[in-house]
Amino acid sequence: MSLELEFDDGREVFATEEMTLNMGPQHPSTHGVLRFIIRADGEVMRSAKADVGYLHRSIEKIAEKVGWHGFMPYTDRVDYVAAMTTNQAWAIAAEALGGVTVPRRGEYCRVIAAELGRICSHLLAAGAMGMDIGAITPFTHAVRERELINDLLEELCGARLTFNYMRIGGVAWDLPPGFDAKVLRFLNHFEPYVDELDDLLSNNKIYIERLANVAVVSRERAIAYCLVGPNLRASGVRYDIRKHLPYSVYPEFDFEVPIGTGRHGSVGDCWDRYIVRLDEMRQSARILRQALEGLPEGPVIAKVPRNYKPAAGEVHVHVETPRGDQSWYVVADGTEYPYRVHIRTGSFAAMSIIEELSRGLMVADLVALIASFDIVAPEVDR
Amino acid sequence: MSAYVGNIVDSVTSIFDGMAVTFSHFFRRPYTVQYPDRMPVRVQDALPYRYRGFLEVDLEICTGCLACERACPIDCIAIDVLKNKETKQNLLVRFDIDLAKCMYCGLCSEPCPTGSIHHTREFEGADYSLESMVRRFVLDPVETYKPKKSGEDDPAIVPILERGMRYVNEFAVPEAPPKPPKKDAAPAVKPAVGAAAAEGQP
Repeated sequence: MSLELEFDDGREVFATEEMTLNMGPQHPSTHGVLRFIIRADGEVMRSAKADVGYLHRSIEKIAEKVGWHGFMPYTDRVDYVAAMTTNQAWAIAAEALGGVTVPRRGEYCRVIAAELGRICSHLLAAGAMGMDIGAITPFTHAVRERELINDLLEELCGARLTFNYMRIGGVAWDLPPGFDAKVLRFLNHFEPYVDELDDLLSNNKIYIERLANVAVVSRERAIAYCLVGPNLRASGVRYDIRKHLPYSVYPEFDFEVPIGTGRHGSVGDCWDRYIVRLDEMRQSARILRQALEGLPEGPVIAKVPRNYKPAAGEVHVHVETPRGDQSWYVVADGTEYPYRVHIRTGSFAAMSIIEELSRGLMVADLVALIASFDIVAPEVDR
Repeated sequence: MSAYVGNIVDSVTSIFDGMAVTFSHFFRRPYTVQYPDRMPVRVQDALPYRYRGFLEVDLEICTGCLACERACPIDCIAIDVLKNKETKQNLLVRFDIDLAKCMYCGLCSEPCPTGSIHHTREFEGADYSLESMVRRFVLDPVETYKPKKSGEDDPAIVPILERGMRYVNEFAVPEAPPKPPKKDAAPAVKPAVGAAAAEGQP
């Protein structure tokens, strides 16, 4: 803010001018290749304009060239932090077009894998959030827990990040022997750990001061900007695809949809967005326990021809990924290749609101803002 | 004033809460995983069975059905099969896998009827040139494997086929036809090999 002091001849004493800063594309505290063009007046931002497209790999176009089965590994790359749910979205879309019914055990395997992936992703979100604020220790704790899940998933499907576990009609591998016992052992270890993370990070006064009342998204604005998933729920809207547009076997499980309560500030601030993810991890653990208990016997994959040709038509499926409602619009024209695939992701919507929220924030708070939305760069661009 | 003091007390206690967690870790078992060269076993051997590392082909049991080439979404597998007109035997003249292109998705090893193409647990492939990442499995043309009706009896091939079938059996079996009842390995192997190979023969 410029001071209105003038010399006698009319020159300003403190002539301040706006500064244009580039944050990114390569920046340690943006998660992935993101770029923000910041107009700042000293420490206060006038605006932070998001510049997307650095990680565009035209995944939607690739789908039109590699066929129904062959596209599955590419869905891992849409959101590499939580590949399981993206796998599931593509599988559900292709199955809906071809009229394939997934065996019940296959659905349970999918739920187990997807919920493990969700915990994995939220752990990274919570840990990275702490690290962006300046608390390094919680990140190492979160990544340590994530490592245990990665080991489990590696045993399940042979990869740690790009799982390619699901197939059209079910899953590729049945649970390995002793897998359910291992997951249970992990859950027994993990559930107390979430409370520990509360002590370590969530209730820390410095952490709260940095996040509470920062970048408040009201209920109306969250809906207007089409925020989805934890970002929407933090603003007090109880909307979860697993609950309200159920897919797979989620209606069989008993779980709650946590929403932001504004415990340390107002509803929809950065702290709320953080704590909703922590609560969701607890709920995912609950779902996992129920899924392991009710795991039915039988095959895990339906018979699907190798040369899969669903009838012409279009389908729009919604799947709750850790970053919210991921909706897939898939058009088939009766050939062995999809005619058109469109993916709508939660990170993209979150990117659009940042410009408005950044007005009047400190530059240092922008990092907290990006982290609280849990933006994953490849999901923005696809 | 009381709020001011309260804030200070809050800050100090919450920091000590966090420190208590950190302190408790002094008495817990460490999570440290040693460097690969300090581990008692090779790191590759410590990986789970399903680990998707470099692709490998056992040419002894390759039927030349091209199922893997067709399944690969990025065409990193190149196979040439020639038909010998005199002996009616298929000749495998090229089986190249470009490991630099490969994304280790596992789609190729899934349709393989004999488990000939499979993922190993090797993953260290750093090299100076891209060309050296192309694994050429056929050096001299070899005849493709023809599954025998009565089950395999060649002692040189039996262990390789057993390994291959163990790999294939790891994949989930589709709903229909229902899972075959558990018998000893050899008869269970036979129908799967025969059916798929017949489909693959040109």
